[in-house]
Amino acid sequence: MFRFLLTRLAAAAVAALLSSLAVFLLMRAVPGDIVSQMLGQSGNDRTAEEALRGFFGLDRPIWAQFGDWLGATLSGDLGRSWYQGRAVTMLVWDAFLVTAEIAVATLVIATLVGVPLGVLAGIREGTRTDAAIQAFNLLGLSAPVFWIGLMLLVGASAWLEWSPPFAYMPPGLDLAENLNIMILPVLSLSLLQAAAYSHFVRDTMVAELRKEYVRAAIAKGLTPRQIYFKHALRNILIPLVTFVGLILIQILGGAVVIESLFSLPGLGRLILSGIQGRDYPVVQGALLFVVLVALSVNLVIDLLYGLIDPRLRP
Amino acid sequence: MPGARLRLVAGLAALFFTAAPALADDALVYGKSDPAAKAGGKVAVGSLIEPPSLDPFLQGADARIRVTGLMYQGLFFEDQTGVARPLLASGFEVSPDARTYTFKLRRGVKFHTGQTMSSADVKYSYDWLRDSKNGSPGAGDLSSVTEIAAPDANTVVFKLSRGNAALPMTLTNKYGAVVPKGYFDAKDASTKFNEASVGTGPYKLKVFRPNSILVLEKNKGYWQKGLPYIDEITFVTMPNSAAMVVALQNRRIDLALFSRPQDTEQLKTVPGVEVKRWPSLNQKTIDLDVKYGPLKDVRVRQAIALAVDKAAIMKASIAGYGTVIGTIVIGMQDGWGVPIDQLPNQKVDIDRAKKLMAEAGFADGFDIDLTTIIGYDWMDAASVTVAEQLKRIGIRVNIKKIELGVWIRNFRAREMGFTFNDWGTTPDPSLLYYRHFRAAPQGADFRNWNNAKASELLDRGQEEADPVKRKAIYAEFQKLLAEEAVSIMMFSADLITGQRDRLKNYNQHATGWYFGLIKAWLAN
Amino acid sequence: MKRVAGLLREIFATPLQILCAVLLALFAVLVLVPGLIAPQSPYAIDVARALQPPSARHWFGTDDVGRDLFSRVIHGTRITLGLVAGALLASAVVGGLLGLLAGYFGRAADLVFGRLVDMILTFPPVIAGVVITGVLGPGARNLILALAVVYIPMFFRIARSGALAERQRTYVEAARALGFGETSIMLRQVLPNVLPLILLQYVILFPLALQIEAALGFLGLGVAPPSPDWGAILEQGKNFILTAWWMSLWPGLFLLASAFAVMVLGRTLQQRFDRR
Repeated sequence: MFRFLLTRLAAAAVAALLSSLAVFLLMRAVPGDIVSQMLGQSGNDRTAEEALRGFFGLDRPIWAQFGDWLGATLSGDLGRSWYQGRAVTMLVWDAFLVTAEIAVATLVIATLVGVPLGVLAGIREGTRTDAAIQAFNLLGLSAPVFWIGLMLLVGASAWLEWSPPFAYMPPGLDLAENLNIMILPVLSLSLLQAAAYSHFVRDTMVAELRKEYVRAAIAKGLTPRQIYFKHALRNILIPLVTFVGLILIQILGGAVVIESLFSLPGLGRLILSGIQGRDYPVVQGALLFVVLVALSVNLVIDLLYGLIDPRLRP
Repeated sequence: MPGARLRLVAGLAALFFTAAPALADDALVYGKSDPAAKAGGKVAVGSLIEPPSLDPFLQGADARIRVTGLMYQGLFFEDQTGVARPLLASGFEVSPDARTYTFKLRRGVKFHTGQTMSSADVKYSYDWLRDSKNGSPGAGDLSSVTEIAAPDANTVVFKLSRGNAALPMTLTNKYGAVVPKGYFDAKDASTKFNEASVGTGPYKLKVFRPNSILVLEKNKGYWQKGLPYIDEITFVTMPNSAAMVVALQNRRIDLALFSRPQDTEQLKTVPGVEVKRWPSLNQKTIDLDVKYGPLKDVRVRQAIALAVDKAAIMKASIAGYGTVIGTIVIGMQDGWGVPIDQLPNQKVDIDRAKKLMAEAGFADGFDIDLTTIIGYDWMDAASVTVAEQLKRIGIRVNIKKIELGVWIRNFRAREMGFTFNDWGTTPDPSLLYYRHFRAAPQGADFRNWNNAKASELLDRGQEEADPVKRKAIYAEFQKLLAEEAVSIMMFSADLITGQRDRLKNYNQHATGWYFGLIKAWLAN
Repeated sequence: MKRVAGLLREIFATPLQILCAVLLALFAVLVLVPGLIAPQSPYAIDVARALQPPSARHWFGTDDVGRDLFSRVIHGTRITLGLVAGALLASAVVGGLLGLLAGYFGRAADLVFGRLVDMILTFPPVIAGVVITGVLGPGARNLILALAVVYIPMFFRIARSGALAERQRTYVEAARALGFGETSIMLRQVLPNVLPLILLQYVILFPLALQIEAALGFLGLGVAPPSPDWGAILEQGKNFILTAWWMSLWPGLFLLASAFAVMVLGRTLQQRFDRR
């Protein structure tokens, strides 16, 4: 187990390092840096340009710049935003809290809706209920998240004469207002994820119910209820764990688009505005964070697998 | 709406004709006061753009200037009529050769920190601004300043290497401001602007939460007695104009500035919301890099100018809510412009354009990339329209949409190609033209024009102190500009505000900045 | 002929699958001959008719410069679906070949490609797409590049595990004994056996890639105007979402329908595959 953990950690570290390097090079490979943005359409003042470039360390060789960044990062310092001057760790953390709220709320709603639907469809395999739920699942999976958001916005405005406030409010300051802001984005993401859940649970359930032990249980005279809840459901827990992890990562991605539609200051907006403003430390820091979150989720899944079922240890 | 347009133009003309030399008429700083005004209340303003930082010395972006103009002040106020009104200065004298400006400072002005402002602070701030090592885009405008002296606590003297009639207008609120002496001694001074304001303006910074809100609070020790009226202003960053429309409808915000008038169409029927149009100092242009492919040939540029139907583009991109222009922004047309019918290459003439194309050897036309910038909504519709129009003279336009950062980089590197541009100005012809069209190294000459005649005119225009002679110089320059077609200035879009009716006496400044909030008030 | 008919009957058995077949046929027509369905130009501007709601003349209404939205959405089918199909094809070729190499030859190739793929996989797909198109700038070329890069790992993994499994088979041993070269075995014997897996993966990934393509378009990172790409129409429509909802409704519905059809197809194929 320990060796397994170690190999996984090493692979994750290599992946994180490589992706950081890729982001670092990609950002610097394209034209237009922060200096030209700051000077804008003003004169071609070489002195100002060089002074600013020197200030941001952009005049140094690219490997030295990466070395500096890596060194500082390893000691826990992601630097400061070139525009705002705030520490990148603070910016990323604040943004993460917003995205995390969306992700957790989505996960909860999607689970509450998706799992029962999936179980129901799985139990009633081949019936009309099953077909209807399957159709819902496929539709939910096909709909672009941001489009659902747009349509919810239209619907709320046309029929309820209500619109979200747009100015983000942290839950700690005013919970009611925070919920007002979060409801539409979370709903739009939840539809997709509930469909994904339900789809997954249904298929696993169907596969499980076809297995030998279920037939044996029926032969032993167990009631269907006992079979569903004692055996089948328990056995789909393991794949479900993986699935939750994948969904979390997916929500992180979906949140980028949703945040920009509903003007939420989450990780996606931070990355997007960082890219547009060529605020390198912010982009690098935020992406490193996202990568680490994704890697840890995957690692936890692997570990859980190992714990639940020792046969799966490589 | 034609009635409104007429009134608007008439009003502007009246303002220009009364534009007397700078008088310390304090009542007119920041616009007209409302005798019925009452103090108190909080206002929310929706905005599509947000300043990346609040350092008034860095960045030339409107997003920053719009709000820092409420917290920080320069020596003058850029009255939209084209007059620089004394702000932190109370008056000035200029030597006959326009090389020495002596500014008297207003007394009793306090910084947000509580310190009293003196000439040492003014000297410090402008010395910081003009030193290009500090990276301010405003440094270039002050390159002719050789020395700033502070002979006594209330006097500051600027010495110039050559005359500059535009100096007062340069010392307004776009770049730089007066901050306490020694402010930049701290290593993280630039960052500190985002945490606390240190200006002299009517509002102080309360909270700045990036990607979300910016809250300003009334400066109780402000030097203009009784101002401002509103206690607190919250700027809310919104995702798109549809969101601003909804927010106005639902009373979530009281004021929003729209970049595209068609977005406000549905607000017209909403009770309690008023949509208003204001003249602007902004212009939408097609810029032509004189070193770029077929554009090298002046006949090709003229042909393009002759094939472009400015009115149609304006109609498509901003539903016609603006004014077609010749060679100057509409706000300055009466004061400094040449009537369009006296300028060459302004009327659509496809036959002549085709003839010019043939003479230049492009009888069969050519392919060209037209660059537009992401985030500038009007460019989408305009680019499609321009492509259709140029097709008539055989030019096949391929639209290339790029990011602002990349665009600015190309622009600054003088590799703009064939592109749309959207720029505003402080209302002085030298500030409008010099940087863009004066040959290097004095100007930036972004379009690689390198025209000796134009440079000579721009130099003379900057140094000439007599307003009448100055106007004649700029008229000659504009005719040259239109003849050479290096920048096809198409139209100035009106500024459109949507306001809840409880917000009174808000007058939108022609720059698009929020100065109007200083004399606005809230009725309950 | 009989076998094909049998296969088709099996694939399109349930109502859902029949709906999918109808939709697929419809989209095929729209891709091949959009002009037949929507004769009006998707580019012609008519400012006087801007932002008109759906009517007999303009079935889907008009956009902010008066272009006919029905034409735009119909003509956008080829662009949107073609872009995704092309990007995924590039992804399948590159990812498939690398996976084949890594799986069949193992060792160095496996290590190097494996790390590269891990690196791409560390980013959630949408974020990777946003970073690539955001940094390189929007436009069809970069959009295709971004989508292709994002999905390389999926094809890589499938091809790699397929090749790993095939490598052990007796027919490979037999080929080796007959004196075939390794590369030739890989391409002639292993590849045909891995190909169905890759094709299946292609169909499964298609709806996901389509959604990312639309999302990037919506963020303004997609194809440049005046192209009637669905994501681009949605991006343009978001500023008019409350006044002109039709600008957002139709392209979204078409996205939904096409993703749905391909998804049902993928599911059906997968089930067939699993049963074998």
